[in-house]
Parts: sequence; structure tokens; C-alpha cells
Amino acid sequence: MITKFKQSISARSLSILLCACSPLFFASCDKDDAPSEPEKQGAFFISATGESAQFILRVDDPETGEMSIANNVKTLELSGYTWIFNANPSVAVGLIYQQGDPGIGLGYVVAEDGSLHESGQFNITSRFTSYGFFDRYALTSVGGITPLDDAGNALTDDAGNERTDGVTFTIIDLKNNFALQEKTVTTLNITGNGGQATLSGIVDMGSGEFLTGLVVSQPKDPSQGGGSSSGAIAYPDSVWVAAFDANLNLKRIYRDDRISYSSGRFRSQYYSQIAKADDGSVYVFSGSYESTTTRPAGALRINKGAAAFDASYYFNIQEKTDGYKFRKVWHITGNYFLLELYNDLEPTATGAATQYGVVNVADKTFTWVTGIPAKDQITATGLPAPYNGKMYFPIAAEAADPAIYLIDPATAKATKGLSITGATSINAIGRLTQD
Amino acid sequence: MSKGILILVSLLSFSLQAFTQRDGDRNAVIRGTVKNEKGEPVEYASIYIKSTQSGTQSDAEGKFVLQVLPGAQTLCVQSLGHVTHEKQIDPKPHGRIDLEIQLEDSRHNLDEVVVEARGPVQRIRESSFNVIAVNAEALHHTSLDISHALDRVSGVKIRETGGMGSTSHVSLNGFSGRHVKIFMDGMPMESFGSSFRLNNIPVHVAERIEVYKGVVPIELGSDALGGAINIVTGQSRRTFVDVSYSYGSFNTHKSNISLGHTAKNGFFVRLNAYQNYSDNRYKVKTRLLDLETNGYSQEEHWFRRFHDNYHNEAAIVKAGVVRKPWADRLQVELTVSREKQDIQNANLMKIVYGGRERKAQSVVPALYYEKRNLFTEGLNLRISANYSLARNSNTDTLARQYNWQGEYRAKSFKGEGQYTMGEYDNRNASVSTGLSYRFNGRHLFSFNNLYGNFSRKATDAAANAETSTAATFMRRTNLKNVSGLSYRFEPSKRWNVSGFVKRYDVLVRGPINVSTTTTATYEEQKRDFGTTGYGIGATVFPVAEWQLKASLEKAFRLPSENELFGDESLETGDAGLKPENSLNLNVNISYEHTFGKAHSVYFDAGLIYRDTRDYIRRQIEQRYGGAFYTNHGRVRNLGADVEARYFYRKTFSAGGNFTIQDIRNMERYSAAGRKLIYYRDRMPNVPYMFGNVDANCNLNNCFGRGNVLSFGYNMRFIHSFFRDWESEGGDIIIPRQLSHDLSILYSIRDGRYSVAVEALNIADAILYDNYSLQKPGRSFLLKFRYFLYR
Repeated sequence: MITKFKQSISARSLSILLCACSPLFFASCDKDDAPSEPEKQGAFFISATGESAQFILRVDDPETGEMSIANNVKTLELSGYTWIFNANPSVAVGLIYQQGDPGIGLGYVVAEDGSLHESGQFNITSRFTSYGFFDRYALTSVGGITPLDDAGNALTDDAGNERTDGVTFTIIDLKNNFALQEKTVTTLNITGNGGQATLSGIVDMGSGEFLTGLVVSQPKDPSQGGGSSSGAIAYPDSVWVAAFDANLNLKRIYRDDRISYSSGRFRSQYYSQIAKADDGSVYVFSGSYESTTTRPAGALRINKGAAAFDASYYFNIQEKTDGYKFRKVWHITGNYFLLELYNDLEPTATGAATQYGVVNVADKTFTWVTGIPAKDQITATGLPAPYNGKMYFPIAAEAADPAIYLIDPATAKATKGLSITGATSINAIGRLTQD
Repeated sequence: MSKGILILVSLLSFSLQAFTQRDGDRNAVIRGTVKNEKGEPVEYASIYIKSTQSGTQSDAEGKFVLQVLPGAQTLCVQSLGHVTHEKQIDPKPHGRIDLEIQLEDSRHNLDEVVVEARGPVQRIRESSFNVIAVNAEALHHTSLDISHALDRVSGVKIRETGGMGSTSHVSLNGFSGRHVKIFMDGMPMESFGSSFRLNNIPVHVAERIEVYKGVVPIELGSDALGGAINIVTGQSRRTFVDVSYSYGSFNTHKSNISLGHTAKNGFFVRLNAYQNYSDNRYKVKTRLLDLETNGYSQEEHWFRRFHDNYHNEAAIVKAGVVRKPWADRLQVELTVSREKQDIQNANLMKIVYGGRERKAQSVVPALYYEKRNLFTEGLNLRISANYSLARNSNTDTLARQYNWQGEYRAKSFKGEGQYTMGEYDNRNASVSTGLSYRFNGRHLFSFNNLYGNFSRKATDAAANAETSTAATFMRRTNLKNVSGLSYRFEPSKRWNVSGFVKRYDVLVRGPINVSTTTTATYEEQKRDFGTTGYGIGATVFPVAEWQLKASLEKAFRLPSENELFGDESLETGDAGLKPENSLNLNVNISYEHTFGKAHSVYFDAGLIYRDTRDYIRRQIEQRYGGAFYTNHGRVRNLGADVEARYFYRKTFSAGGNFTIQDIRNMERYSAAGRKLIYYRDRMPNVPYMFGNVDANCNLNNCFGRGNVLSFGYNMRFIHSFFRDWESEGGDIIIPRQLSHDLSILYSIRDGRYSVAVEALNIADAILYDNYSLQKPGRSFLLKFRYFLYR
């Protein structure tokens, strides 16, 4: 037992709810294979940024046409929201943490009349560098936190310095008005190899556990500053993935050394590189960010319900990308995943990444996405939405209004859909349906 | 550069021609001294020949030198507060006349009433620039700080985030932040730290406040794009004691002590100490956080602020000598100040804190030297130097989450926001040197140089962990040098014209990330930057009581160190940046008239035009990865300021001002080449229509001779404005602000004792200068003052 808790959710109520929700959860996994499923009443939620503020737009059909940002349904009080979308319950969650100040989280649903409705405002007490959904919860995490004892005093190391191996989670209950709790767990020597960890990604296993990538490092030199919570990486050729239960108990650690750690890093952020295919098996990607690693960017697999990596599965992606490494991974449908690749062969902490490719993890193929603006033209991209077997991908390019591009995973060909005139970028698109 | 020099050169040659044509070699010289009834020298008296209106001004010693053509003529000597003196003279060719002129005080004249209300403005008003001088002495009986005194000036709005000690910004004809520079006695204040700034310095400290709209004289050496404000603390030779204390709502205490003494031998000492304290326990209407669920209430409720204590203490000591052969003034000065502020809320009112706080302190020693008629008649030298050491610290260590009821729950990590005990040190040395030469009464050449050496250093790694890098803790320095050369030609009292050029240079040193891998490596680099600006101005008094002015400046703001270096975690900054620049044009007309010795009116109307380009903006684009700075944007402002005032003897005055400014985006495309939907939109989050109305009624000799009972009224109005671009469909509005203040003042024995009651925001309006950040409601203040001077 390595983790330590400051608070605990009522385990009993959680387990009752878990039982109640799990069938729904599995149903939701299939939502992308829409042709076979009856269409739910719903709308697309688009978050777009103008020159002075961030806005919410409601769209029925993002596949064609254009729309002005002035036709937004809401001006947000704060700018800089990260939007994530859950299928069941169907909700858009806006996360924000301002520099030094807590943020106001937002929840949006589709109302009965089909309009977008703000269903909650909640206080985000902790900054976050990774996020995702688990069961009925939205989770965020941040590493590098000084853990406290029960009396509220900082825990110190042998030299008397404040420890920084805490990871603070915020747990947002999507079925209880976005009620939010925060908990800090410790990660000192979490893998048995010393060091501490920052977590990257939250992927629901569907079995009352979630997976998260561990970026294991030495404590960060306080004078180093910077947004990231990682110090020197002692084992850049190893990957560790942790499974936690709903009470944030560490259940097991998946380990391997065929790829580097699973996290896409950009400034302070740790983007998830773990994603689930439609058959329930989890693919653990590594963009091979660390300049000291000898492992190429690639992927491993954890079969559904397995307690270890599938030793028979290894996908060397980098050898198929002309040597480019990648930063972000999104599941499209079936065995298809969309990758965001760095523009330079050797990435830096603020390195640009505006190239895109589709991988099929089953037949281990990689195809560059075509039909989108050139990589030196792209000024911003947003969170894509898988829908009807395609990926709806927001791209803003030079001298053009930002638009939703529709990527066909089988061919990796994209076509331009809805443009948002007057916007500087589209931050996110997601499908919301009436529950 | 070349354009500015051309203008100056043509001005120079024009004036030299005028000089040679008009001044033969037969000229006579009039030398003299102007004194008042008490025999004290009168500064800034106008001495001129009645028929030609050509003349000069007296210096601090009351002395003047005037060259005139030989022959019988009338010499006039005029000074505010005195009866105009006329004298017949008949100098011979090459002759010399020495005069001693004693001016009679005009204390029984209506003029003095006008003078008291707006008098010290006059000399500045006669300049060709668009400048307003606020007579701060007329406000010394109030509890105002400097920023609230400024808020009553046309074209100016002070935007505050809360009560006493809160963040405040000056908006000057639509410019704010780093585009408006603040000076005290001609020295830049930006390095003095937050414990000594406009919104905590009481108005007592100032003798007057000058607001330069758009065109800034070379004496204020800085890259002020949109104007400057200069607080003049005054160099009064009086011996005086001024003590006041006020107490008011929200447990507010303010006190002030001013002492000054000038000895016969020229030695003087002056002390000004003050203190501000408030709990700021005013009520705000906002949403409540449920500590169980961390959700916000749907409805807004009223809460009393519970963690907004502010206190601030400062002292200014000046000592030196005046009227020595080797120095007209030599002064050493020390300003010490400190403040502590509890931080109650974030930039949205609903985000509330119970333990965050901020401290600042500063020490500023300074030296001032002035010598008139150095080596030769009319050559004046002035040197100011100061060194400021300011320390700011932020503390956020509580592992708690508060709500607006003052309740909290424990959190599992430290910091209500970002865990910090950060400290930042700013050090700055400034030297300002001014040299002026008045020649033949008509020509004034001035040179001014300001050198500034600024460095800052963060001392705590936890200070801002999210955004900082290793480079945050490395030293950075900023050397700035601004030189200005100006020439003023004043052939007669009826008109004058002036022109200037300014040279700006900056040299910055700081850390830059030179790494090409995922691990940052910093190295110190330096960059320099320079540019030249220019301006001209002219004023004419076409007929008595009317004045016309026009002025123009091509003003610049140099890139800051961050802008030249880019974001520190970016590989390269952009050395190709241009300075932000603005073409500022002003036209003013003013009129004053007195009817039948009892009624007096004053009117001033100004038109402003600002064409501002090449804003330096931070951009983040995914194709480039990190942040970068670029010049982009063009904003045009066409505005009008109007001020009108009426006086009836010493009994009644009423007036007001109104400002309207049409500030619009004139950029059609974004930096990334996209068509902008808000082309020609009004600039968001900038007040564009506002005004003040005030009235004052004095009951003289009330309950005894020399006692005055005064009633005052002040209204502040700001039209509502959008927070975001209107064409983007932004629906957040900062609502209309309308507030009324009342005051009653009773002063005894010509102001020796006074007591004042002020009622601010009497209608208890909900006021906002910024979105969501509510300001105090109705409040009262009681003030006692003792004032004695000889």
C-alpha cells in the first residue's frame, strides 16, 4: 500500500452506484458505431475562442456550411476552458484553473427543447495537468504537490525538505450536480524503483478501476521552476501504468521496457496516451518524448481484464512515421486512433505539433491525414469528437476561418465541414444527447 | 528620426530669422525683480510690452531680463492673484534700466476666488500642450487620494477592483496600463512599488496634479504612448503645520501630518507622513459556494467582506537649502512606504479567499539640485536622481477552501490558490538632467535626459510554479535612456510655438532558453532597441479671454524585456519588433470671462485624435509551439472632452466635464491573416462616455468672522460598456455607473481648524469598474484637520 489518502468517498455508496451504472457504461462504449444504433435527440456543443472571450455554440450539423461566432449561445466569464465530453451521463465538462487562482468549472447538458443548458457551476480547487472520465466521475490530477499530514503540516523528506510526491485528484460527480471533492495521494517510490510520479491520462477499465500513465522522475529541483512536475527521468526506457480503484487505492502496476513512458508532454501538461479500442482492450502509447530514451515511439496492449501487458503485442509506430514522434492520441472508432505528431524529429518542451496520422492498432498501419491545412499553416487545433465512424476535428489555419474537418479513418482523408467565422480557434467539439 | 529633426531644424531656422529681423543692435535691456506686498519674490509673473505683447517671465527669485526697442512704451507686469502693474519706460538705444516692481495683492478682487478654485493651473494651461492641472491644494480638506482626485478630470477614469488598497488602473483617453506613465516631480514612479502609488497617496502630498493628454513634454522623459500624469509635491517656502485624521465606514482610518519650515538662511525641512487603514467590510452580492459539494448557488446573495484588511504607511522627508549662490535649491529626500493587504477574492467575485495576503515596501532616497543662471543669464540646470528598492511578497499557504460566509473546509494541499511565499525585489536607479536656456525673452531651448537602470529578481521558487521556469529566478535588467530636445518660440504673449524631438534607447539583459532538447538550458543574452519621436505645439490668444491650442506628438512605447526576449521558455524572442506607436493630435479652445465682478465662467473644449499602431501582442500558435510576440493592431480614437464651470463670488461654484471617445479597431485582419469580425468595433472593456458634475456652496463668515460652512456635491457617471468585442456576440456588459457624493465642511479661523463629513455613494448604487468586481456601497467619513501656516 503506497498511496495515502486525506479523505475518502463513502465506499458503500460508490459501490452501489458502480453496480447501477456499469451496464450503461458498456453501452456507451459502442456509441461510435452509430449506424446500428437508434439516433438520440442531441446537438453538438462547440467551444470557440474569439479575440476577447471564449464562447459556446450549438450546432446541429457540423459537416457543412458556416456559422458566425456571434451566433453563440453563451459568452464565458473566463477564457481558457478545457472541455471534455462524457457519454453517459451525456455532459460537457469545462475545466479551468487560472494562474494562481481557482477556476469556475462548468457543466452543460442538452435540455428537452434541444438547447444547451448550463447545469452546474463548481469550484475547481486544484490545478490539473491531466483529466478524463471514470465511471460517473470526471477526474483531474496534478503532480508535484506537497502532501500534508492529518494536522495539515507538510510532509518532509529525510533532509527536512518538503516532499513533492503528492498527486491531487479532483473528483467531479456528474450525477450529483457536479459535486466536487479533492484528494491527495502520495507516490513516493510507487514503482519500487525510487522517485515519484506524475500521472498522465485517466482511462476507465469498466471494472471499477481506471488506468493512468506514470511519469516517474526524481523530485524536481525547486529552483528549476517550470510548469511540469517532473524532475530528472532516471528510467527513460521504461513504461509504467497504474490501475487505481474508485477510492484511489493503487491496485496494480503494469510495467514494460519496450517503450518509454506513456505521456504527451507540453509545457505543464501531461496529455493522455492511453486509449481503449472498441473491443475493450487498452492501448498504451508512448510518444517517446524524453530526449534520453532509446525506445522509438510505439504502443503496447493490455488485453481486457488482463493484469499485465500483452507480451506478444508491440507496435513500432515511429518507424512508420518517417521518424516523427507524437504528442496526443485519440480513439476514433474500432481499432483506429488519431495521432498528433511533432513537426520536428527531435521534440522540445514547447515544440510544435501540427501533423496528424491515423493508426490501425490491429494491422499496425499508419497513414498521414490528408486534406487538412499544411502543418506550417495550422495555428490551433481542438478536441476532436468521434461520431458516425468519423473524426470531427477542429482546425484553425492561417488566413482562414477555423473549421471542423471530417476524417475518414479507413483512408485518413479529411474533408472540410462547418466553418466558424470570426473565431480564432475552435477549442472543442462534442456530441451531447438527452439522457 | 529624420522627420523629427527636420521639424526641429526648420523651427530653429524660423526663429533665428525672426531674431535677426526683429532685434537690431539698438536694443535696450530691462532688468528687474518682481515682489509681492510682503516683499517676497513672485515667480512666473509675465513681464511684457503692452503694445507688442512680447515679453518674458520672472524666475523663482522674481527676476527677469527683457530686451526692448528703444523709445517710450508701457511695461506690464501681470501675475495671478495680483493687480496688473503698468509702468512707463523710455529706454535709450543700448540703454539699461533696472526696476523693482511691487505687485499689489488682489485679495479683494473676484479673481482670487477663481484663482483659488483653479488658479495654479494657469501657467500650465498657457502651454501649447493638451494638459490639465488639478489644484490639489483645493482638495486638501477632503479625504481623497490622488487617484480619486484624478477621477474627476475630463478624459480620465480610474478603474478600481474594490475598496481601499485594491488594484486600480488609470484610463487616459482610452489608454491604460503601460501606455500611461506616472511621474512624481518629474521622476518615473513605476519602480516605487505598490506601497507608494496613486491610489494610496493622499491628495495632501500634492500641490497639483498635471495630466498630459497625448503630448508629453520632454521634461517627463519616458516612452509614454498615451500621455502622462505628473504629481507635483510642491516646493513651498512656507512654514506650516497640517495635521488631519479621518474615520469612516468599514473601520477606515486615515491620518496625515505635514510639517514644513524654511529658515531665513535658506535651510528648509519638510516632513509628510500618512497612514491609511481599512477593513473594507463592505457588502457584495455574489454566489455562495457550498463547501460540501463545491458547487455554486444559482442565486446571488449579499455577503459582508471578511478578509480585506488593508493598511499602508508612508513618510517623505525633504531637507536642503535654497537661494544660495551655488544652488537655487539643493535637496535630499527619503521616501519610505509599506503596505499589507488581505486578498479577499480573485478576478471573479465568487472566488473567495480567507488567508491570502500581499505585502510591499519600498525605500526611495533622492537628490535634487537646481541652479538658475548658471554661468550666464537664462541658463538653468536641474538634476534629479533617485534609487528605489521595492520588495513585494505574496503569501498563500492555507490548506483551506473558504466561502463567502467566512466558513472553510480543510484541503489536502497547501494554498487556497497557488501555494506561495514568493518575494520579488525591484531595484531602479534614475537620473534626470534638465538644461534650459532662455534667450532674449523669446527663445527657450531645453534639453532633458532620463536614464533608468531597472533590475528585478524573484527570490522564491514556489512563487509561481505553474508559469515560472528556471529563468524566472535569473536576474534581468533594463537600461533605458530617453533624451529630449525642445525649442519654444514666444515672440509675444499672444502666441507661442514649440517643437521637440525625443530619442529613446533601451538595453535589456536576461535569460533565454537556448536548448534544442526537452530540457531547458538558459543563457544570459542582451538586446538593444532605439527609436526617435517628435512633437509640435502652438497656442494663440486671438482675442482677450480666448485661447486656442493645437499639439501633435508621434509617441512611442518601446518593447519591454519580455517582449524583446519572447517568453523565456521560447528559443528566441523577436528582435525585429517595432515599438508601439501613436500619432496623437489635440485641438483645444478655452474661454473665460467675468461679468460685473460677481459672475465668472470658464469653458474648455478639446478634440483628440489618436492613431495607434503596431501593438505588441503575445501570440501562441500551435505551428510555432511556444508563445511569441508580434506587432499587430491598429486602433483609432476620435474623442472630445468638454469642461464648463461657473463661479459666483466666493459663494458658489458649479461645473462639470464630459468625455466621449470613439475608440475603434481599424485592423481588418488578424495576425494570422483571418478576416476580423470586429473591424470598426468599439474597443471592448474601455469606458467611452463618462462625466462628472460638481457643485460647491460656501456660507462665508458663518457663526463668526473667518469661519466658512461649505456644502459640496459630486456626481460620477460612466456609460455601460461591453467587456468583449460586440461583433463577436459577447453579452457581458459592465453596467452604467452613477454615484453621488455629498460633503459638508466647516472651517474656523480661515481654515485653521476644520471638520468635514463626507457621504460617498449616498444612493448606495452597486458599482463596478470591472466585470464582477463590486466596489463599496454607501459610506461615511468624518475628518478633522488643523492647518497653520505663516
